[in-house]
Amino acid sequence: MFASARFRQGVKAAIPIWVAFVPSSVAWGIAAQAHGLRLDEIILMSAWVYSGPAQFAVLEPLSAGKSALQVLVAGFLMNLRFLPMSAALAPYFRGVQRAKRAVSCHVVSASSFIISYLHFQKEREALAEGITRHPEPDGDANLYFFLGVGVTSFLVWVVGTGVGYGVALGMPHGFDEALKFILPGYFAGLLVVEMRGWAMPVICLGSLLAAIPGALIDPGWGWLTTAMIVATAGWGLEQWMLRGSRSSSSWA
Amino acid sequence: MDATRFEIIFIMGLMAFGARVLPQILFVGRKFPEAWDRFLRYLSYALICSIIAVTIFMSSARFETQAAPRRGLALAVTIAVAHFTKSAVTGMLIGTLVILGLSWVG
Repeated sequence: MFASARFRQGVKAAIPIWVAFVPSSVAWGIAAQAHGLRLDEIILMSAWVYSGPAQFAVLEPLSAGKSALQVLVAGFLMNLRFLPMSAALAPYFRGVQRAKRAVSCHVVSASSFIISYLHFQKEREALAEGITRHPEPDGDANLYFFLGVGVTSFLVWVVGTGVGYGVALGMPHGFDEALKFILPGYFAGLLVVEMRGWAMPVICLGSLLAAIPGALIDPGWGWLTTAMIVATAGWGLEQWMLRGSRSSSSWA
Repeated sequence: MDATRFEIIFIMGLMAFGARVLPQILFVGRKFPEAWDRFLRYLSYALICSIIAVTIFMSSARFETQAAPRRGLALAVTIAVAHFTKSAVTGMLIGTLVILGLSWVG
């Protein structure tokens, strides 16, 4: 299949992401303007960092003029989630030049990862089950599909944040409370919609409750520390229970 | 553009790029351990919740006692609406309307 056809296939698959990115990017642009960031800073962060949760995480400390280290640690911890996503995609780009892969992976996001990864898996399964007679796409073909998804979603995100900034500028006075609520409200809604199993709600609730006392003890690092403790404790408990259930099933 | 902010954004972008590019160099043909994957996911959920709490309830390192009830109510409404409608946007919009209404009334 030609590169352009494969790219177009990716663009079509990305349409649901665009729909999801419009409200979140506009919400981030609005919140960033409300926190006093300038349009060039907003666009630079959206294009260069390109990570909604990390951008959300650093908005408050960045606008409050808190220590650079704190902002960077918050952003770093949030961006660690790209490691497993990029690692899961890596085998599908086998044979692609390293430089090409390196540049392309800038558009790895949770959404572009999920759409591309599921598509590649589906294609592989269809091939294994003999449903399709097409040969398995090579690394380059997969990369073009991924770029179709990733580049267009990236553009929607960057333009959306700029639009959000403009929307916030046009808001009359008296909307400050609402403007500051939009982004945390959106993320709270997203988490609720995505909740699965018992560990995630417990971790989210624990972190939500522990953050305020943590921030009161240490306004700079308290909320970060409590989030790390709660996540580690929740994950440790889940691992311990998983091991327990595995060992009991091996006894049975 | 503020030079310090520019530096912070630039370094943040570099770190995000590092997290994206490293597996492409180190993990080609290898699988990321599932337990790590879960831990990193839980860490980002916990961080998001922590930031939600701090952004909504605190200002300049102080707990905003007066505004906390209405903001807490708006957050609860957002969560409930998002849960029942399975739509984050609907939850956000209703929650924003609630906080707007309550701040005008109060």
